Amino acid sequence: MRLRTVLVVASLLLVAILVQTTLFSQTEIFVPDLVMLVVILLSLTRLRPEAVLAIAFLGGLSIDLLGSSVLGLRAMVFTIVAYLALRTRERADLGRVVIGLWAGLLTLGGVLLLLVVGTLFGQTVLLGDGVVGLLLLVPAANTILTWIFAPMVVRFIDRDTTAFRYA
Amino acid sequence: MLNRQPGDRTLPTLVTLLVLGMLLMTFDVRSEGQGVTSVLRTGTQTIVAPLQKGAAFLVNPVLDVVDSLANIAILRETNLILQREVAELEAELISVDDDLARLEFYEQLYDLEATGTDIGRTVAEVIGRVDPLDKSLIIDKGTNEGIAVGQPVIDTNGYVVGSVQQVTGGTARVVPITVGSDGVAVAVGEQLGVVLPQINDNILRLEVNPAREPVLAGEKVVTSSQSVRFPAGYPVGEVIVDAAPSGADSLSTLVEPYMNPDNIRVVVVLAWPPDPVAAVTESTTTTTSSTSTTLDGSTTTSTVDGDG
Repeated sequence: MRLRTVLVVASLLLVAILVQTTLFSQTEIFVPDLVMLVVILLSLTRLRPEAVLAIAFLGGLSIDLLGSSVLGLRAMVFTIVAYLALRTRERADLGRVVIGLWAGLLTLGGVLLLLVVGTLFGQTVLLGDGVVGLLLLVPAANTILTWIFAPMVVRFIDRDTTAFRYA
Repeated sequence: MLNRQPGDRTLPTLVTLLVLGMLLMTFDVRSEGQGVTSVLRTGTQTIVAPLQKGAAFLVNPVLDVVDSLANIAILRETNLILQREVAELEAELISVDDDLARLEFYEQLYDLEATGTDIGRTVAEVIGRVDPLDKSLIIDKGTNEGIAVGQPVIDTNGYVVGSVQQVTGGTARVVPITVGSDGVAVAVGEQLGVVLPQINDNILRLEVNPAREPVLAGEKVVTSSQSVRFPAGYPVGEVIVDAAPSGADSLSTLVEPYMNPDNIRVVVVLAWPPDPVAAVTESTTTTTSSTSTTLDGSTTTSTVDGDG
């Protein structure tokens, strides 16, 4: 990765963490998981797949370090989400709506995995009030944000103005 | 011949990272969040905290405006209610001032001195949460303001919120009682019990053992003097379902907490216990209290710690 790309990706992750922990921590209906979303969007870029996996791991680890659940939980889950995204991105490249839905499904898988692994490791802090509702709200918010921002993010990181232009 | 296309290294990278993640999780669980992982967490939070505070400084006014616009229809009515409440509270305050003056007079008359058991309070603002699933709260005060791990946290009405789990110089993380892994020793009437969090629910489960008499809906639940995590007498919630002792002289029912962690914007951290030596003892016993739940005292719990 070039220095510019490293800086852009690091800034993107930092902004995602800050916005998620401040702005979206106080909203009740629109509750995206921005770091997971960034990981999914990065899988759409021309970054090397191994780099995307490493970024996903580090992004998850950052949230683990800031949060109260066990260290490594989100790092693992985000890495798996990134891998699934890399393996399925070709099939989703049909239009903005499809990509949004694809990101929503990946987010749903990620949240489910987070809850399952978290439960296995006794992370009661993840299983509070409204957890079932969040299974729908988080993927829905990520779907909307992907639909809006995916082309912009991919074009900016890849420096390719032709990306995501559907006839 | 091996294909060296970049995509071919995806699976080995995935497996490596998953193994690393699993090792981290195991290490963190085994070390109970202490040692290296605690240092890593504190370091990361120390770096990110100023940025979070800056972001919260920008975001909170915007959220307040949006909130005001969303509730503009009821603002006038709310204002009238609040004005009425302020008038009532001002009248109460005058009455309390009179009582205080009378108390001071009697203290001087009988040459009394305060016992010095007042609990120090630090008011802090909630600046956010980590993600939608993690219910712990990040507050804008830390060790610089005297906050320490294990200290109890209440809301501005005095209702129990939770306790401090992690602290840095400028921020701290509070785990609410509705999601924490430890129970809280409480009193219902003259009976003692423990309230425990439930999955996907804000309602707490109350267990009283031994139970001598039924517990009725509407009864107040407060922290008990046997609690090692909270000072006695702070309101926790209200019983919502009647329950009578079963064959094993125990009862279980549900308690609706007075506080809702989703709506809390300001909290108060209590400097409790006031004696720092006791605080160290309390913090070590807190981890064992969840397993025993009958908080028999520091001697017993310390022994458990030593054995563990």
